Amino acid sequence: MARSERQLAMVMDLNKCIGCQTCTIACKRLWTRDEGMEYMWWNTVNTQPGRGTPRDWEEMGGGFRDGDARPGKLPTRRDFGDAWDFNYDEVFHGGKGDTVHLKVQGEEPDWGPNWDEDQGAGEYPNAYYFYLPRICNHCTHPACLEACPRKAIVKREDDGIVLVDEDRCRGYRFCMEACPYKKIYFNHAEKVAQKCIFCFPRIEQGVANACARQCPGRVRFVGYRDDESGPIHKLVDRWKVALPLHPEYGTEPNVFYVPPLAPPRFDENGDIDESQPRIPNEYLVSLFGPKVLDVLEALKAEMAKTRSGGRSEILDTLIAYKWKDMFGGFDRDPATIEWTRS
Amino acid sequence: MKARLAAATDLDRLLDPDDAAWSGARSERLKLEGTPAGMQPTAVIRTAWADKAIGAVGRVEVAALHNGRELAFRLAWEDASENGALGDTTSFPDGAAILLPTLPTAPAITMGAPGIPVNAWYWRADEPEGGRHLVAEGLGTSKTLEGGAVRGRGHWKSGRWQVVLARTLALQSAEAVVQLEAGGTIGFAVAIWEGGRGERAGIKAFSGPQWIELQLEGGR
Repeated sequence: MARSERQLAMVMDLNKCIGCQTCTIACKRLWTRDEGMEYMWWNTVNTQPGRGTPRDWEEMGGGFRDGDARPGKLPTRRDFGDAWDFNYDEVFHGGKGDTVHLKVQGEEPDWGPNWDEDQGAGEYPNAYYFYLPRICNHCTHPACLEACPRKAIVKREDDGIVLVDEDRCRGYRFCMEACPYKKIYFNHAEKVAQKCIFCFPRIEQGVANACARQCPGRVRFVGYRDDESGPIHKLVDRWKVALPLHPEYGTEPNVFYVPPLAPPRFDENGDIDESQPRIPNEYLVSLFGPKVLDVLEALKAEMAKTRSGGRSEILDTLIAYKWKDMFGGFDRDPATIEWTRS
Repeated sequence: MKARLAAATDLDRLLDPDDAAWSGARSERLKLEGTPAGMQPTAVIRTAWADKAIGAVGRVEVAALHNGRELAFRLAWEDASENGALGDTTSFPDGAAILLPTLPTAPAITMGAPGIPVNAWYWRADEPEGGRHLVAEGLGTSKTLEGGAVRGRGHWKSGRWQVVLARTLALQSAEAVVQLEAGGTIGFAVAIWEGGRGERAGIKAFSGPQWIELQLEGGR
């Protein structure tokens, strides 16, 4: 499998994500407002542990096992949460705003893109959860690209962004079956597959992705993987504190996560119990692979260093004192550009 | 097989599968077979379909008529379910196509080969009044030609699809398109997709690797 010449990547620090969905809305407003895209959320944020979006996507197969393509399932619109219709006209324009409240029209939904928000796992006082934002991973070994019988999915040579060529796409949806992260949607109006485009029209103008730039928590770092002065190379390759989600899927994602630390547990007397982690190790290993334990130890060591008065370049980078330093040079203000829709 | 000349029948009537003109055409029953899973162009499709039945539609009735200007094929097959809508991600439409070689050496089973193109006249149940004209030089290479040269029309009634696909005999195009003439002979192949079983792309029932001969009545 030929790699792209360069690879853009993203690092998301899960210790900073507050689940506010600003990234989700930034993406929605920018890219998925047309007919046929109603149910699409190219960016999602789900509570973990949880069933995710689409529902139970981790049990739907796809990707590669021992290098061989592994068939997967097609998620339904209902699995994605679909788009709910509300009685906006009645409430806002029907003169009944005092008596009628907003209600989902039609069948009562049994799932949504963020249905199990904040449920998490564990028992009081040791309940736990964290937020997991997800976009297309723009994989180095994209299962979607390999699945397409029409070569309608391309990985750009210059930056590794994976795109659906909508002129070649016939809406066969083998890509949706093959993507193990279930991050491809089907546009039933345009009859083509669509997904996160890593904001390539912004990137081409030197502007970071909307989800990254709009994030109030400074969660998302952007840049080229090989840019040694940029945050991606430092976090992923030099300090090795960011890991891909489900590396066992075999697609080599280019979105990396700084895994979540958690508050300590309480024992039965209500005293702090540091002997075992609040988020079970095996759960984090199931998401990020065994290296996650090394990363958590490394992060704790850095925190200890600063507590004792030392400096930590890793923590300084993760804190992101300078907002623009997060974007690996893609720090141009989009308001300075005159955008046109082609 | 013969495409009888129905000189007085205009295109609009040819496109109506129930038009009386079709009673003058002789239908032939073709046996269809599933495309081999091993020939699908990508590994994940080969693996996913290795143990699944391909080619849900076992036979199709084919008739052909021309009026000196246009050639029309009428395809009819039994199908208990009408799959027309693209409502959900898991819904696939029924479909049908006629494949025609631009050169006698073009292989039907791979939909042509580099330098040896084939044309497809393609109809799909989500666009029952539409047709597409495609050129392909091998599996996965098909592209839709502009210009709307292929017309299609189909309807489903009481467990049976009837679909007509038509095109002008002669066609000016910069692309490799088949030229037809009254009195001439061409080969063709048929494909039917059962959307209700997830059939799409190369997953379909087809009339086999041999071109079926069609004589266009009339001419010199």
